[in-house]
Amino acid sequence: MITIENLTKFYGSNRAVNNISFTINDNEILGFLGPNGAGKSTTMNMIAGYLPMSGGNVTICGTDITRDPVKAKSNIGYLPEIPPVYPDMRVKEYLAFCAGLKKIPAGKRRDEISRVMDLLKITDVKNKLIKNLSKGYKQRVGFAQALLGDPKFLILDEPTVGLDPNQVIEVRNIIKSLKKGHSVIFSSHILSEVQAVCDRVVIINKGDIKAMDTIANLEKNYAGDTVLHVTVKGAKGTAASVIELTDGVKEISAITAVSDDTFEFTVVLSGDADETRTRLMSELIKNNIQISEIYAEKPDLENVFSQLIGQSTKPNGLKELLDEMGPAPEGDFIADTFTEKEEDK
Amino acid sequence: MFSVYKKELQSFFFTPFAYALAALFMFLFTYMFNTSIARLDSSTFRFTFPEIFYNLIFFFIFLIPIMTMRTFADERKFGTEVLLMTSPVNVLQIVLGKFFANVTVFLFMLLGSALFPIVTALNGEVIVSQLACAYIGFFFWGCMFIALGMLISSFTENSIIAAIIGEIVMFAFIFLDDFSQTAFMSQFPKLQSVVYAFAAQPRFSYFSQGFIRVSDLVFFISAIIVFLAWNYISIEKRRWNRG
Repeated sequence: MITIENLTKFYGSNRAVNNISFTINDNEILGFLGPNGAGKSTTMNMIAGYLPMSGGNVTICGTDITRDPVKAKSNIGYLPEIPPVYPDMRVKEYLAFCAGLKKIPAGKRRDEISRVMDLLKITDVKNKLIKNLSKGYKQRVGFAQALLGDPKFLILDEPTVGLDPNQVIEVRNIIKSLKKGHSVIFSSHILSEVQAVCDRVVIINKGDIKAMDTIANLEKNYAGDTVLHVTVKGAKGTAASVIELTDGVKEISAITAVSDDTFEFTVVLSGDADETRTRLMSELIKNNIQISEIYAEKPDLENVFSQLIGQSTKPNGLKELLDEMGPAPEGDFIADTFTEKEEDK
Repeated sequence: MFSVYKKELQSFFFTPFAYALAALFMFLFTYMFNTSIARLDSSTFRFTFPEIFYNLIFFFIFLIPIMTMRTFADERKFGTEVLLMTSPVNVLQIVLGKFFANVTVFLFMLLGSALFPIVTALNGEVIVSQLACAYIGFFFWGCMFIALGMLISSFTENSIIAAIIGEIVMFAFIFLDDFSQTAFMSQFPKLQSVVYAFAAQPRFSYFSQGFIRVSDLVFFISAIIVFLAWNYISIEKRRWNRG
């Protein structure tokens, strides 16, 4: 178990991480979420013992990292944001060097190296110079390094950045398979990934913890009002008044013209969403309005995320958020689906 | 420590780096050796290997920073410093591992230079005791500058800057001797003796004359320890100040 207590980091007078505390249990994958510059990497660097903390404690499997760094670090496998690889070394040499650094007994090194190479499917590039590898392969070599010696605690800082969609899925499956017998902290700004992999999430923004819970609880507590998208044919005015007057409808937040006579209404519901939805549909039918499509925006982590870090929950809030978070990496499913949705409109 | 040492050696010997450096050194030695022999036309002129070493010191001001410039600068540049710092080894072991690797490369270069005395011994006479002293002196002198070069490499992440600053600092070190002899400095005899004590060059010249003085050994060894300790502190300090 890993305990982080009141962790604080000052860069000069600028507070990058502000008094955060959480624990990572055994057999657990903890997602660490936040926009760029939220203090994710700083926190991870402190937990890994690379950066000294300005205040607070990090205890790794019962060892305080500042009191006995060598012992604490022997339980850590760390994949930093930029994979720490030497461009002039061959993959095999590099992993052999890391195995030595991690004090894996000389007799076991060869087996251990071939184990991690098989796991990350880099055996076929083992004799290549690292500088000649693609970004995805470099990332996997860095990941292999973190898994050497099978450390109990893994710190993975955006492990899927730069991988193609198939590799992303492979790496996610590897992370999931590591759950047994390990504690994993895994940072990302790709929400679908966190949803797919993690048990619990910690959401951090500007150095403060904004939320810490299981994904299901977060969705339940923070998701807010259900948003319904209703596409109708003709009679824009009638439809608008019918929708507005239906019980349980809070407001119509947007009307978009899909074509000359087809309009999409974005409707915010309050109270019991399912009931309102049924009522709304029967009201529309009663008034002879043709419904061509109706779907509810699923309350999910995206909404929670945007709400927690102070963004609007309007449908385009996420888009803005993603823009703010910089260009989406390859294999970013959310960004992909989102652009599709945009185009559909 | 051993794995850092091994990795550093690989980075020297699995790339053309160490060989190019050794070749340059051999070239300089050959040049000195040949010109010295060419001047042996009168019986009153004689040449000694220590003298060659003494002259080589000035070339080494340029060679050693090239050797040490990458030591820590490249680790920072490629982000591999994180790997070293989060591994179960402490900073002192990293510093020592890198230092010994650099010293090994230096020894490799010295080994190449042994060719000349051997050839000379086959055809003439070599004063072995004096030569051995010169080698010992040159070795310690080199170790001190390696420690200094590594220290400067830990200040920056640009290896070229590390080399240039290293050259300037080492040059200053050599010229402490001349500086202490200036008319200006002789106005302050106490200060002059202090500055002179720090000059490495006259200490080396004792070795090259065949003297092993304890005070010189103590000077070189303590300078190495000071530079390595400073190196350790510089790395730790930067982690604390980062940002």
